[in-house]
Amino acid sequence: MRFYTFVFKNVIRRRVRSTLTVIGMAVAVGAVVALVGISHGFERSFMQIYERQKVDLIIQQRGVKQKLTSVLDIELGAKIAEIPGVKRVDSGLVDFTSMDELGPVGVLVQGWEHDSPLLRALNVQPGGRLLKNDDQKCVLLGERLATSLEKNVGDTLSIFDDETYTVAGIFKSNTVYENGSMVVLLRDLQRFMGREGQVSGFTVIVEKPDDEAEIERIQHDIEDLAKNLEVTPTAEFVNSTTEIQVIRAIAWITSAVALVIGAVGMLNTMIMSVFERTREIGILRAIGWGRWRVVRMILMESILLSIAGGVVGTVGAISLTRLLANHPAVGGMVSGDVAPSVVVQGFVIALCVGLLGAAYPAYRGAKLLPTEALRHE
Amino acid sequence: MSDHNRDPFLFRTENLSKLYPDGQVHALEDVSISVRRGEYVAIMGPSGSGKSTLLNLLGALDLPTSGEVYFDGQPLSKIRRLEQLRSQKFGFVFQSFYLLPILTAVENVQVPMFEGTLSASVRVSRAKELLELVGMGHRINHMPQKLSVGERQRVAIARSLANDPIALLADEPTGNLDSVSAEGVFDLFDHLHREQGMTIVLITHDEEFGHLAQRTIHMQDGRVKSEELCQERRIRTPLPPFAV
Repeated sequence: MRFYTFVFKNVIRRRVRSTLTVIGMAVAVGAVVALVGISHGFERSFMQIYERQKVDLIIQQRGVKQKLTSVLDIELGAKIAEIPGVKRVDSGLVDFTSMDELGPVGVLVQGWEHDSPLLRALNVQPGGRLLKNDDQKCVLLGERLATSLEKNVGDTLSIFDDETYTVAGIFKSNTVYENGSMVVLLRDLQRFMGREGQVSGFTVIVEKPDDEAEIERIQHDIEDLAKNLEVTPTAEFVNSTTEIQVIRAIAWITSAVALVIGAVGMLNTMIMSVFERTREIGILRAIGWGRWRVVRMILMESILLSIAGGVVGTVGAISLTRLLANHPAVGGMVSGDVAPSVVVQGFVIALCVGLLGAAYPAYRGAKLLPTEALRHE
Repeated sequence: MSDHNRDPFLFRTENLSKLYPDGQVHALEDVSISVRRGEYVAIMGPSGSGKSTLLNLLGALDLPTSGEVYFDGQPLSKIRRLEQLRSQKFGFVFQSFYLLPILTAVENVQVPMFEGTLSASVRVSRAKELLELVGMGHRINHMPQKLSVGERQRVAIARSLANDPIALLADEPTGNLDSVSAEGVFDLFDHLHREQGMTIVLITHDEEFGHLAQRTIHMQDGRVKSEELCQERRIRTPLPPFAV
């Protein structure tokens, strides 16, 4: 028998203990992978909304970092369009509404002009269509939202205080956040929100997107139009927007909490599993094993258990995340995909904490005199 | 060390004392004994008389509070890696066998061999030979819990011989065995002593088995009470030629 075979048998043949240790590790790794994965996925999908728009400048009310609370006069759009170098200007209104079918979770509603490139860029599923200028109370639903509401093209649904809208189309987006949202014509949203003549902001496409000096000049020209305008290049806007910052903070806090809980759980599992073997360590020391061999045996076993716990925990976490992503209440918010980096992170943590948790009791056990270890109950 | 300078004793203790920190009791007080190479010694005495403490100190399983243990003339306090001594020179047999429950008989016997230089295949064949020697050749692949207590102790004895030790230290090896199994174990010790010239230090409660040794050391209250040569036994099993 080789030493490695002995270590392997130690793990395989102690089924109950190994299973319990693996479960303990799996729960901890699973918690880290699921929580970190969910928060990262949420952050990532939110970022994609902005990145996908391919606009060069975003205009909002000065001092307001949230689209939701920004209020601008729609007439500004025409003035911006007259500035030399501006290729296209689009306005949009954003708000949240609640729906009885979805409980307390808010649904993002975007109000766009019928010819907005943002609207045109939506990937409407076969059988449906985009919104037209003469549409009356029509809505486009994100794929996930449509599934949650169990609506198909042509169905009607009650939104905005019992107004009946017809589903014109169902669109599929790369971002889960958009997949859980709905799109109506700007005038419908303005009317419902009591914000006629107002928009949340404008997006500007310039004629020479690669000319930084030109973009900067246009930025200043727009800011000169009115005192309350804040013009931001898209990339900068994405990074500075409050939603992203809040989501990043939440993701960080959630990850940190998950890490602490997971690490404590793993440490506890591994320490207890080695402590209860003090007597066995005494036997091995008594029959002549050196300290280093005892430590090596325990660390190798710990690596095996950590890897097993990592695999079970990661598979469990991915399954749980997919399950959550398919749940109607949170489907629009949670991505079913866990990034490979998060999985790697989970494994590294499992290995590090597993080794750390085993190293202390192994060192302690190996340091004891054989008689002390043998007396251990 | 040349034979000329060799200590005539394999084990020797000088004023050995052991005080356990938890109780203020002297488990061992001022004990000086010696064991010759190839000798078969039984340490006897009532519970708490310090027998096991003495054996643990002889076998470098524990450290004395004061005094010194000499092995082959060398003070143990000067040896840095006592586990090498335990691994290569001593074989231990315990009352509770201390077999690893997750390993088969043949695997258990190989566990001490990891500290040696034998290859994996040689370890297996040596373990099989040793199990044959202790009469367990037919049950090499049994788990300890599938063996009788007597058989478990035989496996433990095979394990104690794994690295070809020169001394066997046995702490109440028959304490958990019925009389038939116990006799089997003592026959084995007798064989090892007689055929292989092995030095055996044995702890036993049993007067009858104790007198199978060449010499008995009686202990009481942590001290040596008396020593006794078993004349009859000496005639039956003369010391091997290399013993001093």
